Amino acid sequence: MVLAAGEGRRAGNHTNKVLLPLAGRRVFTWSIRWARELPEVCRTVLVIREEDRDVVEAALTREVEPPAVEVVPGGTSRHGSEWKALQLLAPAIEAGAIDVVVIHDAARPLAGTAVWESVIEAAVSLGGAIPAEVHGHLTSLDGDPSPRDRVVAVQTPQAFAAQPLLEAYRRADRDGFVGTDTASCIERYADITVHWVPGDARNIKITFPDDLFIAERLLAKARWDLTARGRPQ
Amino acid sequence: MSVETAELHCETCDAVTDHELHYTGRLLESTRCTVCGTHLDVPPRDMLPTYLADLEQRIVSKPRRMLRRAGQDPMGFLRSVPGAVVRQPAKLLGELRSIFRH
Repeated sequence: MVLAAGEGRRAGNHTNKVLLPLAGRRVFTWSIRWARELPEVCRTVLVIREEDRDVVEAALTREVEPPAVEVVPGGTSRHGSEWKALQLLAPAIEAGAIDVVVIHDAARPLAGTAVWESVIEAAVSLGGAIPAEVHGHLTSLDGDPSPRDRVVAVQTPQAFAAQPLLEAYRRADRDGFVGTDTASCIERYADITVHWVPGDARNIKITFPDDLFIAERLLAKARWDLTARGRPQ
Repeated sequence: MSVETAELHCETCDAVTDHELHYTGRLLESTRCTVCGTHLDVPPRDMLPTYLADLEQRIVSKPRRMLRRAGQDPMGFLRSVPGAVVRQPAKLLGELRSIFRH
């Protein structure tokens, strides 16, 4: 499940950043490419803003190999978008055709195949997995030399056992609960433990203009190929 | 050169603002916040080698991309080939001109 609906800050003639060109493709199609290197990935659902549909579908036709990506319009929040995509997958999850759902932010085009592989493997055996980078060099401003606990920067893709994830979102929907992220809904409604796996320092989120320059350079340095499997570099 | 507009976080404004993004070929050449004018660009000495490396990859990957397009829409592909071939030299010259002006 690739989330490309953005925050929907306002309407108007502004390109969603995940639709920007990046080294010959749109930002959002890079991560679909890396994920689909894995034979375990059987369906791809892309959550979009309805006003982006034409551009998204043209990019998918041009840049993404079959099988077709299933496109669904997003909700008013990240939680709502995840719930809409889960509803599309619900019959397959209930039929046992999908074991794990992987949720990914389309603004992270450099999540290579290895990261997808490691979260899927961990979710299959442990129930839930998120990639994280340890930030050991952080310090606090209130006098403590460093935070007591290790501080990690959480990334996507994040993978969860499909049945408990679907059930958690159903219960959240009944309660009117809107989580800030997937883990908050899982913690509240599902009885699975989310484990962390090593993230990838290259797996940056496009937020600032500089990030686009960095992503372009990182892709070129990797010879536009992040399909290597095994532990992330 | 192509221009896109997108919302990105401006460090000067400390807010999400509209940015103009200028591309040469596939490469991002510069960005500008439309609110405060903060401008970022690739150092001129870096642009040419980066462009040439990218151009090499474009050329190497071109046959595979053409095959995919031909497979998706054979008639449309055949119709588009003559125009695309005619346009390529001017397109490349325009990109090089933009880099040397940069």
